[in-house]
Amino acid sequence: MRPSLRFLLRWESFLVLLLIAEILIFGAINPRFLRPSSLLYSTSDFVQIGIVALPLTLVIIAGGIDVSFASVVGLCAIVFGVSVHFGLNVPVAMLLAVLAGGLCGLFNAAVILTSRIQPLVVTLGSLYLFSGLAVVLSGSIGAGGYEGIGGFPQFFTDIANMHLLGLPMPLAILLIEAILLGCILQFTRFGRMVYLVGLSEKAALFNGMPLDRVRMWTYVLLGVFAAIAGLILTSYFGSARTDLGTQTLLSAVTAVALGGASVYGGKGTIFGTLIATLLVGYLQQGLQMSGVSSQISGALSGALLLIAVSGRQLAGGVSVLSFLRPTALHASK
Amino acid sequence: MIRFFSKNRTASLLVISAVSFALIGAFAPGFLSFATVRTILINGMIMMTVSLGVMGVLLTRNIDVSVGSTLGLSAAVLGLLLQAEVALPLAMAGALATGLLAGLLNGVLVAVIGVPAIIATLGTLGLYRGLLLILTGGVWIENLPQSLKALASPRFAGFPILIFVVAAIVLLAHLFLSHTRKGRFVYAVGDNRDAARHIGLPVRHIELSVFVFAGLMSAVGGIIFAAQIGFLPGQAGSGIELRVIAACVLGGISLLGGSGTVAGLVVAVFFLTSIDSALIYLRIPGYWNDLIAGAMLLLVLVVDGRLRLLIDKSVRAKRYANHASTDKGQSLIKATPGLTTSGGNQ
Amino acid sequence: MTEEAAGVSVRDVWKGYAGVPVLKGVSLSLERGQIHALLGGNGAGKSTLMRVIAGLAHADRGAVFIRGQELRPASAKKAHMLGLYLVPQEAHVFASLTVYENIVIGVPGSKAALSAKLEGFMREMGVCLDLEEIAGSLEIADRQIVEILRGLIRDASYLILDEPTSALTPRETGALFATMRRLVAGGMGIIFISHKLREVREICDVITVLRDGVIVHSGMLSEISDDGIVAAMIDAVADKARHEVSHAADEVVLELDRLGGEGFHGVSLALRRGEILGIAGVVGAGRTELAETIVGLRPIASGTCRLDGRQIAQPSPKTCADLGLVYLPEDRQSNGLFLEAPISWNVSAAIMHRLPTFFAGAAETKRAETFIRELGIKCRGAEQQVLRLSGGNQQKVLMARCLAAKPQVLILDEPTRGVDVAARADIYNIIFALAAAGTAIIVISSDFDEIEELCDRVAVMAHGHLSGVLEGADVSVKAIAQLAFSAEVSL
Repeated sequence: MRPSLRFLLRWESFLVLLLIAEILIFGAINPRFLRPSSLLYSTSDFVQIGIVALPLTLVIIAGGIDVSFASVVGLCAIVFGVSVHFGLNVPVAMLLAVLAGGLCGLFNAAVILTSRIQPLVVTLGSLYLFSGLAVVLSGSIGAGGYEGIGGFPQFFTDIANMHLLGLPMPLAILLIEAILLGCILQFTRFGRMVYLVGLSEKAALFNGMPLDRVRMWTYVLLGVFAAIAGLILTSYFGSARTDLGTQTLLSAVTAVALGGASVYGGKGTIFGTLIATLLVGYLQQGLQMSGVSSQISGALSGALLLIAVSGRQLAGGVSVLSFLRPTALHASK
Repeated sequence: MIRFFSKNRTASLLVISAVSFALIGAFAPGFLSFATVRTILINGMIMMTVSLGVMGVLLTRNIDVSVGSTLGLSAAVLGLLLQAEVALPLAMAGALATGLLAGLLNGVLVAVIGVPAIIATLGTLGLYRGLLLILTGGVWIENLPQSLKALASPRFAGFPILIFVVAAIVLLAHLFLSHTRKGRFVYAVGDNRDAARHIGLPVRHIELSVFVFAGLMSAVGGIIFAAQIGFLPGQAGSGIELRVIAACVLGGISLLGGSGTVAGLVVAVFFLTSIDSALIYLRIPGYWNDLIAGAMLLLVLVVDGRLRLLIDKSVRAKRYANHASTDKGQSLIKATPGLTTSGGNQ
Repeated sequence: MTEEAAGVSVRDVWKGYAGVPVLKGVSLSLERGQIHALLGGNGAGKSTLMRVIAGLAHADRGAVFIRGQELRPASAKKAHMLGLYLVPQEAHVFASLTVYENIVIGVPGSKAALSAKLEGFMREMGVCLDLEEIAGSLEIADRQIVEILRGLIRDASYLILDEPTSALTPRETGALFATMRRLVAGGMGIIFISHKLREVREICDVITVLRDGVIVHSGMLSEISDDGIVAAMIDAVADKARHEVSHAADEVVLELDRLGGEGFHGVSLALRRGEILGIAGVVGAGRTELAETIVGLRPIASGTCRLDGRQIAQPSPKTCADLGLVYLPEDRQSNGLFLEAPISWNVSAAIMHRLPTFFAGAAETKRAETFIRELGIKCRGAEQQVLRLSGGNQQKVLMARCLAAKPQVLILDEPTRGVDVAARADIYNIIFALAAAGTAIIVISSDFDEIEELCDRVAVMAHGHLSGVLEGADVSVKAIAQLAFSAEVSL
């Protein structure tokens, strides 16, 4: 086992234990929580976090960051809604929405890679741009902010309530996505380059890796999956709203960080993010079922993130510090 | 050269603002008035204070996304204290103390424990917001006393007292950052952390202080919020963190630390706030706001980024062009007989 | 000698990085009013020793005393307070602050007083800097001056100058020496690190020679000859027979025709199959720039570069690697290796684009294990992080990465920098074996002994030009040195 991965796996097993503990505690407070159906169906309320958090993991491993996905979710939902409104048939409209998501990612990548501005700044700008675009688009057909665009055919709104292999559709989509992205990351050349580019941009350059192309694809993937999240949410709620993704922004970044990805790039796994998503999601659901305000769960997931990351920092103190001080490495010459 | 451009950013933003104001004035008579400017200034007060705090953090090459929650939390503490009929000055002190503690926790996480700032403040963003909801029980705080609201009501030429407080803070921050030793330390830490450590600057203390300052400024923002709005919803201040960072970036404060001025920030805040008013005068639906703000931000950044790349390129070209001509000058010191056996350098 | 008199005193300091000892029990003392030369070859441990003295690194064992006070815990601030300032080899500059701010930052006092003092120093040194300029635009020499002024303005009683003259013009060097003499007359103690014996002779009183982390000579400069110093610095074993067998065939693989680029001009060279060609010269002669241009990392300004008689269409590290042109970069820590990745990932790094889209970890591990065995890389297995390896083994991993690309032409830039003696011998053997198998090899090095030992033919560069090519029996350290410093000879 690779030592780098070994450490991560240790972290991931810790997350799994935390998840089990969490579920048991909530089960003790409210036995209804432990029912398989309740465990399964409550995921539909937070699956969108995972759907964007997984490709976000790729972006972060490759040394980038993207906060605009939160707007892309809403924008793509609106693109879908507007297309249907103008009489396009649903599958074509869905395709259009996914395309729009990919284009959003491409736009981010193009600006980041050509202007060499930090990705956080660029995607902060496009966070406004995309949400503004969504609002303007929905405003153009006279749809208000809160009710959104509705009136979709029955079969579309049924999608979120269908089952696949005995799982609710949104969860099934998340799991399929996790397997897909996990395989890409672990077993393909592209996945390996995602890690290497994030570990050392310079070394990747000296090894002739297509740095920009690798990064571009991570952003495009995130855009595409943000669009898919937008479609699932639209189907789930029965209407397309501009603010569908707003809530995913912080939870998704939290899930990625909690899952073990490093904001310095080069570290992280799909499995870790997936478990962290469940951890954060069930925390919200469990608190709700225990009668605690769902808003307070924000405090708890915030605290969870802080304790987990500080703990990891303090435990791994020595190695982390020496990594942060490159002088210590260079002085050995 | 770098100074030219950082100065130029402020100047160019000023020019853009002036031109767009003139254009809007041409299309919407009545826009160009003292009243409009006053409204914009008053509306921009919260953003100004909070972004000033975030600016300090950004200068040290860190980031703080928890300011919105800190704002809400301190405002809630203020509101609750006032509801418990604590005297206004004492309640305000309570709010400021809350902001200070919130900032201190961020600072400890980043500077002492070493958690990346984005992760640490993301965590406290959730934490502080949750604390706020626990404190208030999720209920809006209403019926704030008149004495508080009076701080935000027009007093001198239509300006409230608070705006003078904000102006004083801005001025002090400017003086501190550009004219004091400690102020320059803040820039130095963000500019080149290794060098700062080498010179023996107290890097951790400086990082800790900027986070505390950001917390304090968020608390001031919270007080202004409570005074202006007159009630406190549970979501008070949420989302402001992103707008504030956008204002800083637009104002020429680099996320890579070490550069940016208070003047640039002031212009950027004014510019972003004015979009709202301008839309009203131009009778454009308010929902264009985000689109315009985002497009402006990206446009300024991309143009700026491209310019920098071009400058880098020309500097590089010049350096290698010089190389040939300075050969002779350099040769004497490179050449030393005797020690040929060990040659190079490390 | 009492500690008071000793000024700065270093006692039995040990220091290692990642388990590799760099300093092995070094003791040293610096008195006021003295310029103390510290010499040593690459990797002798000079920089590490200076970092320990300046409080920037903790000693594993032993202690540093300044004015009789122990520097513990080690901190730069404490060293400054005790009056010691290290002027590092590469100046630390705050790019967005003004020159004035860069110099006085952290120094108490009024602006008027500090400016007056600063201008006094600048006048004495005969340097001219615009204090209000932004430091980011300063040339390297000016940055060095900023660092020296930083030390002076802090009223340091002890200065450590780590190769301060490497970026200065002769006039500036002269001025610096004059300032140093004046400071020493005023009671300052200076440690002067340099590679240049002439400078050392000109200015120093006492000399200490460091080799492999141990002090091999210490005493008055007047009591030792230049030859004696050189003998102390050179590893005794290094004096062995040159590799005499040349495998060079007649077939030319790589041909440069008046190639010019960033930092070099008009370089014409032909490399034959199985040949080991050395490119010698001092740092800054344009060797690394030349190599990086050949493999497509920098743009070609003029001339041509042909591989197998064909010009490389769009040179980039990837296309060059595909054509069998592989480069081992000079700075392995930042440019060469993915330090936090396992050995196996590093070995495959240069051939990523040749692997199938879907690849199995097993093949990769097997490839890495083959190289670990063949190159004798000491590790716990193919999945060990490269970060945890010693310098020599890291370098071997980098060699493995190059070899995995099956090079036809291999360019090695400083292949043994910071590598211990045993690993160095291993690397030499690998290079000989590769040449014997027909690979054309270019070795870039500032270690002329290394060039002499390894190469069939040597091209020497000075100031961006090719100053000469030596072949066969003509290859000698002396001849290389003459060509490398040829610019001075002609002046």
